[in-house]
Amino acid sequence: MGKRVNPMLNVENVLFTITVLLYVAATVFYFLFIVLKQDRLARIASLIQLLGLVVHTAALVCRGIAAGRLPLTNQYEFSTSFAWGLSLVSLIFLRRFKFPVLGAFASPVIILVIGYAALQSREIRELMPSLRSSWLGIHVSTAIIAYGSFGVSFVLGLIFLLREKMQGSAFWNSHVPSREKLDLIGYRSVCLGLLFLSFTMITGAIWAEQAWGSYWSWDPKETWSLVTWLVYAIYLHLRIRRGWKGRAAAIFAVIGFICVIFTYIGVNTFLPGLHSYA
Amino acid sequence: MQKRLKAIGKFLSSMRFGILLLVVLALTCVVGSLISQGHPMDWYLQRYPERTAALIYGLRLDDVFHSTWFLVLAVILCGNLLLCNLLHLPGLLQRFRDAADPLKTPKTARITAGVADFPEAVFEKIRMPKPKTIDAEGGKRLFSVKNRIGLWGAWVCHLGILLLIIGFTMGQVTTEEYTVYGVPGQTKPVGDTGYTVTIDDFGVQRSENDTVQQYTTLLTMRDGKTGAQQSASASVNHPAGLYGYRIYQNSVGPAAKVTVTRDGKTAQEEYVCVGDYLYVLNTPLMLYFVQYEDAYYDAGSGKTLPGYAYSTYYMGEQERAGVQVEGDTALTYGSVEISFSDPREYTLLQVKADHFSWLVLLGGVILLIGLALAFFLPMTRVWAVQEADGRWTVSAESRNAGPLFAEQFREAAGIPEAPEETNGKAGEPDA
Ligand code: HEM
Repeated sequence: MGKRVNPMLNVENVLFTITVLLYVAATVFYFLFIVLKQDRLARIASLIQLLGLVVHTAALVCRGIAAGRLPLTNQYEFSTSFAWGLSLVSLIFLRRFKFPVLGAFASPVIILVIGYAALQSREIRELMPSLRSSWLGIHVSTAIIAYGSFGVSFVLGLIFLLREKMQGSAFWNSHVPSREKLDLIGYRSVCLGLLFLSFTMITGAIWAEQAWGSYWSWDPKETWSLVTWLVYAIYLHLRIRRGWKGRAAAIFAVIGFICVIFTYIGVNTFLPGLHSYA
Repeated sequence: MQKRLKAIGKFLSSMRFGILLLVVLALTCVVGSLISQGHPMDWYLQRYPERTAALIYGLRLDDVFHSTWFLVLAVILCGNLLLCNLLHLPGLLQRFRDAADPLKTPKTARITAGVADFPEAVFEKIRMPKPKTIDAEGGKRLFSVKNRIGLWGAWVCHLGILLLIIGFTMGQVTTEEYTVYGVPGQTKPVGDTGYTVTIDDFGVQRSENDTVQQYTTLLTMRDGKTGAQQSASASVNHPAGLYGYRIYQNSVGPAAKVTVTRDGKTAQEEYVCVGDYLYVLNTPLMLYFVQYEDAYYDAGSGKTLPGYAYSTYYMGEQERAGVQVEGDTALTYGSVEISFSDPREYTLLQVKADHFSWLVLLGGVILLIGLALAFFLPMTRVWAVQEADGRWTVSAESRNAGPLFAEQFREAAGIPEAPEETNGKAGEPDA
């Protein structure tokens, strides 16, 4: 039997494509900004990114309407939302700290994540009963902000490490905050991420209890989110205890984000396979 | 000797040891996720070299998260957190009190913005509460503090983690868990608790295109001792709560009616679930319901019919195995005939009492509050001291805000030159 395609889904498809194009355009402008060193280009780039975020939001809303629920349940929906979170948090940090180079480094990551989303199946399937829960909605929404914040701290870490190499560059000195400030902005993004990750884990536990009768069962996804949480907690304490700021903190932020990505994609992709060839 | 004990105590309560524990915990989690958990020894022997498999088994890496040493790790972490929080409490209380004291300002201010004629404006611009005016020895002072509560962030956060780990560990050790399954009309005991559960009804709600939307069981739980009973409904994501137990709609499976006739008269009639046994009354015979299939191809009749796979045990020994199709008779033993009919779904409920899950939830909420306090309410103090010439020196400190706050502060004070920064440490290390 041929399925009727919801017209909202067609709209979503178009909006999604426009979103990708806008993010690509933003990246190009950011790139030009770095190469040609013209502030005007940075303003255009961040405006395009903002426009991309607006269209992206509209695409997510259309999908939500088409599916009749929050668009946060399958791999496609989660990855496009992840890209949305990254875009949102990076724009907030960019505006707050007047720092367009952040956009230049964040936008390729956004493209990678939304590119991953584009590869996933966009079919809307009916949800299993266990996924029909408002706790799930809260759980995933907070995860998006957490992942977005960690993504930004990762990008800041990279910028920090590059900043060290670019000491002599007048452009870097005038357009990128001092290392001390970069470090602190990175710390802020980790704090935001850790708060939201904790929230994600707690709401996830509440949902799991209702859906499966057990709030924590040490499945690989849960275990890896705990690993990620611990890595960032260790980062905070090393900052205090050993004064691991600057370079060490930047490296930690990069490692932390690798854990995030592993929790998100790696666990599904690699862990089942590990047992078969180990 | 006492010195050494003190040193050990100090180490055990230190953040250094805490960090070490967190690292060990993280590594344990990584190992626990890389090695598939909960298989018998043979399983590991097939997949790993013998030595590795022996190591996995010896260190209980096959079930890390329920091993004794994991429990010990959790207990040590609790001890460390508890000691750390207790030892830091007096100092923290003191800092909390001092923070409100206009005269207890650091001698070398973290940030001194320099002189101003109208210091009140500086307070206002960086959104500090209206300053108090104090006539102190050294001259007139203005002072204001905000987010003092933020000083408690780390402490509250650690308290939350402590409660969470205690609740989780106690829950692991004491949780009672049972499964009850059956078809409507059946009453089953809940383990050895003295309670029974009667399945009053069970339904599957489907959408237009036949995908399952919800499973719902209506049930009655009865206290065998007092005879009291209560009814409730349990569905996926909406567990029932009765007599201190949470009842979860866990899964479903096929069941069928087994009819035993003797001399043509019905002697026994019972619903049996797949995977269950039925003792045939007054015989040494036991029937095991292996599997049910909706569309079983029956070579005999050339038709596709519902099929019931079974096996039988006679005096404990397996005897026959076969498939009965709908409308047929499965087995005949002299005058006894046994047949399956009326396939339907049974419901499987999980009945659980975790007396500590509230503590975990409380710990989680406290943890969130602590994190929010620590990260988003940085304690900030601003003070201005009037100099002999009538102008004011404005200074400030803000926890964890370093150069970002300094910049904001300098801007507010309207003083362009670089601030004098002593760049104090972000926190008080417990050396
Ligand atoms: C289990 C995970 C843990 C988490 C999530 C956690 C969380 C935190 C947070 C959020 C802070 C404030 C950091 C900041 O303001 O930048 C903090 C500080 C601190 N933590 Fe932990 N902590 C954990 C375990 C531990 C352990 C095991 C110890 C061991 C003693 C410890 C000792 C400390 C100390 C001494 C501080 C500094 C307190 C202060 O600045 O007032 N933490 N922790």
